[in-house]
Amino acid sequence: MNLAAYRKKSPWILHYNAGGCNGCDIEILACLSPKYDIERFGMINTGNPKQSDILLVTGPVTKRSRERLVEIYAQMPEPKVVISCGACASTGGVFRGMYNCEGGIDQFIPVDVYVCGCGTRPEQIIDGVVQALAILEKKTKALEEPVQLKRAAKQEEGQLNRRELADDIKPLLT
Amino acid sequence: MKKIETTLEHLRKDIAAFYNPGLHHFMVMNAVETGEQMEVQWFFADYAHPCETTCFYALTGREDEVPSIKDIVLSAWVAEAELVDLMNIKVENTAKGFVLEPDFESGPLLKKK
Amino acid sequence: MGRQYEIPVGAQHISLLEPLHFKFTTENEKIIKTDANVYYVHRGIEQACVTKFKFRQVSFVVGRVCGLCSISHTTAYSQVAEKLLKLEIPKKAKYLRMLVIELDRIHSHLLCLSHVAENSGFEALFMKTMMYREFSMELLEAVCGNRIQYDFSIVGGVTRDLRTDVAQQILQRLKTFMPQLDELVGIYENNWTLSLKNKGVGVLTREQAMQLNVVGPFARAAGLEVDVRNETEDLLPWKEVGFEMITDTAGDVHARNMIRLREIYVSIRIIQNIINGLPEGELVTETKAFPEGEATVRLEAPRGELFYYAKGNKTQVLERLKIKAPTFSNVAGMVKAFEGNEYASAPAIIASYDPCLSCTAR
Repeated sequence: MNLAAYRKKSPWILHYNAGGCNGCDIEILACLSPKYDIERFGMINTGNPKQSDILLVTGPVTKRSRERLVEIYAQMPEPKVVISCGACASTGGVFRGMYNCEGGIDQFIPVDVYVCGCGTRPEQIIDGVVQALAILEKKTKALEEPVQLKRAAKQEEGQLNRRELADDIKPLLT
Repeated sequence: MKKIETTLEHLRKDIAAFYNPGLHHFMVMNAVETGEQMEVQWFFADYAHPCETTCFYALTGREDEVPSIKDIVLSAWVAEAELVDLMNIKVENTAKGFVLEPDFESGPLLKKK
Repeated sequence: MGRQYEIPVGAQHISLLEPLHFKFTTENEKIIKTDANVYYVHRGIEQACVTKFKFRQVSFVVGRVCGLCSISHTTAYSQVAEKLLKLEIPKKAKYLRMLVIELDRIHSHLLCLSHVAENSGFEALFMKTMMYREFSMELLEAVCGNRIQYDFSIVGGVTRDLRTDVAQQILQRLKTFMPQLDELVGIYENNWTLSLKNKGVGVLTREQAMQLNVVGPFARAAGLEVDVRNETEDLLPWKEVGFEMITDTAGDVHARNMIRLREIYVSIRIIQNIINGLPEGELVTETKAFPEGEATVRLEAPRGELFYYAKGNKTQVLERLKIKAPTFSNVAGMVKAFEGNEYASAPAIIASYDPCLSCTAR
């Protein structure tokens, strides 16, 4: 067994409330409880960004929590998947346009799965997490693919032009 | 609701005479714009039944410094710090930045002219 | 004398549901000073309520202040708006509001208890409490149509009637919940492992609670008799449906657990009385008036006293709306009760306060 297999069988989730109303947060907590039992997918709620694979974010991003959100995202190791839970996290919801709100989390970090609803139901969260698992697997594969530079250098005006050699992998670097 | 008028000079004396921790509890501070002036309000509620809500209010100018009641009512610092940021009122010995980020324009709850 | 260290907890932490930052100054293992930063989730709802939304829409907006006690916020706002409109609502609407508030209290208290168990390191009890809590969420969905964010109270009354089959279902589920609650009381009261983390930890005495104006189960665990349901009867007739004051004397984490568990018994009795004596009548009183003057309302949310101040100016949009949430009053007490405890106990103490920061910060 290698690391990728473990990651597929037991993705760890990290939960951050970026300024929401607690509604979606208690539904995430309900997902961990025996009735919905998200642990059957091998998931466990962890507090450490450096050990987690899936980031669950709720709430519109407030001015004071935006730096923390970006910091937590940056601390998570690749491959990682971000799920935005609820209407506020996806678009800003009812809080859109309030003076201390920045709107949805996708303005700060890339989001892979959007879960709708105010508040989200546990079934929807589980559905979103299962979709995130597929994305996580895809990202893992993409990460493990070896990078090869297939282009050859061009002969221009008696000199070798190597400027475009890395064009194929440039999107991966940004 | 029982409203008692007071002034900034007499505020500390009035509240010290009124406030008895065994009978009342302090709830919150509030400010309302009334034209050019601000009406600053201090809310207290009784423990007993039937319960009466008492409101002390004082009219102040926008630049006046409101005296602090932190030493009379020990939990008032939270309400004072909030009002400083949200309504842009100067309160004695209270710094900005408890509610809003330091780079933010203070007084977001004030009506825009 | 050891050296002093500063240890931060938050804004993101495994034991916190919401962003909250405590900076503990510790000497060896003892906490001697605490700084709290509770305004991570400040959104600016008060300003939006007096600019963007009309006064009838605001009752849906203030529900989003807090997902745990949204019914308390919508009800308190509806009541303050009714006071401004000088509107008398039907008795049936009052009873239905009380029914949903008490169902909400059961789910909120059980959530807090499970969180204390988890933060004390008792994962199995967390799972058990969450399992027993699920019935209240299903009942709330049956009554209001949503698991959280009920939008049940509106200005003038309530949105939905209580169907007879739902009423029977509530009585039935409460009957099956009673032995489960007895089991939980047995565990929280007598479990030796839990008592090591909970008894004598995070003590706030009655004098301190009085000086710091603490409210809710936090104050009642210290022996302070503060409960809005006991103090006002003009808006919701709590005494009529069998309210009873619950207090304890110890003031520690264990006492707070026991207060919450014993309050669930009272809530169950209130719900049974409401369903058995539900009056007939309309659900909503219609009016075309506009809010005028100023009014205040106090209401007992699961965490303590909720306070609304509103001022109207005879237009569709309010002049000023002030929300005081229970945790706002408890911040000073929260900071105080950490003193003298060991740092390792801090997560359990934080959970036992049942802090609701989205209420506090708005």
